[in-house]
Amino acid sequence: MKPRHLLPIALCALLVMAPGLGLAAGSLDDTGGGQAINPTAIAMFLLFVAFTLYVTWWASKSTTTSSTFYNAGGKISGAQNGLAIAGDFMSAASFLGITGLMYVGGFDGLILSLGAFGAWPILMFLFAKRVRNLGSFTFIDVISQRLDRDPIRLVTAFSTILIVIMYLIAQMVGAGKLIQLLFGLPYEVALLLVSGLVLAYVAFGGMLATTWVQIIKAGLLLTGVTLIAFLLLADSGFSFSTLLGKAVDAHPKGEAILGSGVIFDDPVQILTIQVSMLFGTVGLPHILMRLFTVPDMRQAKLSAYYASLFIGYFYIALLVLGFGSIAYVASAPEFFDAGGKLIGGSNMAAIHVATAMGGDILTGFMSAVCFATILAVVAGLTLSGAAAISHDVYAEVLKKGKPNPKTELRLTRASVLLIGLAAVLLGIAFQEENIAFIATIPMVVSASVTFPILFLSLFWSGFTTRGAMAGALVGLVSSIVLIVLGPQVWVSVLGHAQPWFPYDYPALFTMPVSMAVMVWVSKSDRSPRGEVDRDNYAQLLVRSEFGEADAEASRA
Amino acid sequence: MIDSSIDAVHRKTRLRLSFSGIHLVLYFSFSLNWTQWGQGLRSAIGATEITGSLLMFVLLVLAFITLETIFMMLSRWGRR
Repeated sequence: MKPRHLLPIALCALLVMAPGLGLAAGSLDDTGGGQAINPTAIAMFLLFVAFTLYVTWWASKSTTTSSTFYNAGGKISGAQNGLAIAGDFMSAASFLGITGLMYVGGFDGLILSLGAFGAWPILMFLFAKRVRNLGSFTFIDVISQRLDRDPIRLVTAFSTILIVIMYLIAQMVGAGKLIQLLFGLPYEVALLLVSGLVLAYVAFGGMLATTWVQIIKAGLLLTGVTLIAFLLLADSGFSFSTLLGKAVDAHPKGEAILGSGVIFDDPVQILTIQVSMLFGTVGLPHILMRLFTVPDMRQAKLSAYYASLFIGYFYIALLVLGFGSIAYVASAPEFFDAGGKLIGGSNMAAIHVATAMGGDILTGFMSAVCFATILAVVAGLTLSGAAAISHDVYAEVLKKGKPNPKTELRLTRASVLLIGLAAVLLGIAFQEENIAFIATIPMVVSASVTFPILFLSLFWSGFTTRGAMAGALVGLVSSIVLIVLGPQVWVSVLGHAQPWFPYDYPALFTMPVSMAVMVWVSKSDRSPRGEVDRDNYAQLLVRSEFGEADAEASRA
Repeated sequence: MIDSSIDAVHRKTRLRLSFSGIHLVLYFSFSLNWTQWGQGLRSAIGATEITGSLLMFVLLVLAFITLETIFMMLSRWGRR
């Protein structure tokens, strides 16, 4: 049976499962600390899943080769891809986490918004065009054009898989808890549901389905936040100042929430967050992979531009939502339990403000969008991890760039299954752990390993394989060691009184160290391979800027 | 011929790095809010509740998008 023939079966299975979903939800109607079950949320979620499975079935008809699987055949337009990239980043963590942080500390929460948004211009200025011109399916294609392909592919594929797995664990644990809270489903069932749907999207529809799921979800999320922001402003006479005034009156810290210092007071801590968020985001493999889904370099640049527009708009809307959540949730007793705690914790502030503004329908819509968001982000991550295994390791390293296409595609689908299974098992294993440090690792490793290698490959003629390997090793080890010695593991997980290293995000220190090692080892590299790496730079530079055709012309 | 192409690439590289430099200066200027030098940003603007810090956030988002727009336009003119 061909994979696409399984999709209608999956769709039927979902519809058969629907009453069970409602039953599970109904039986947990009054779970302590959770949301009351919202049938609108379940109905909207089922509608989204049915539609996205239909999209997957449609996409599976054209997902027959490795190329269409990894990069949707390069047929996505710049605007569509920009929305998909924006969708990759406008995760449930952004929507719920940033609004929640603003609910607690007002202005201080915005550091995460700006930190995340700041990455997109850098992606556009430095990487979008050059990465698109040099790569085929993953960013590792780009660096292996110049450096010794086998060792560099193995090192970067390892860091990619580490980033993807860590990011996946954080998403899966977050997803399990969120779905438990929003829909009342048991944690393990929530993980299986997420994993099953993601496997259907990715294994059958590849990048084409993953991209369209992301586009649909991004459109829904932007619609939702726009609606809530509009309702908040309308209720304040379309005056942001009036809304801020209500927030000041409702928050125990009063006017202090309109400036810095409620949550963070150390400028170095702010810098560590900024460096990790900016350079970590730029190096995320599932974001870079999206640059290959467009037909040419111009569309790649347009993708980054459109992504910036959508994400910029999203974060400005979150500014309204964040202060709106203080104004309309902090003073409303119906959102607090008997002990006076916000139901579901501060991460639920965004959902509560939707309830305050739009009742059950808007709550249902936003809950369904949050679930959709998780599905779409996990799908992108899974695809990226599968590509690292089947394309970077199997096809390029083991088969020296000449794999059997059918075997490669089979291996990709098997990798998707493997990653899905690992995500569920690790999600269950880590469910009781403090996962904040797990979410930190991908950003810090990405900033300390992926970004320096990619940047120096494209912008420094003296870069060599030996330098890249040494710097990557130092970046990886120092990131993990400092995270373990920092507050999130040393104090929160291991229970010590004081951390050895005072900051949660060590990229401010590990990234410069990693780059310095890369430069120093490259400069002292006198090996024949080092000479080849340096000589490769001129050709790579021309091809990166003008594309393959122009580079051929200039060689002639 | 490749030399002239490399010259053109170097010009584009300078443009890329200049825009990235401007962007990074603007981006890290946000951390001023948490320093003594940023004390003034915490004050409200005029008779509104909007502080300099909040205005700075919105202006930085708009500035980043403007920078990208200018970069796109310069790239397009460069191609012509």
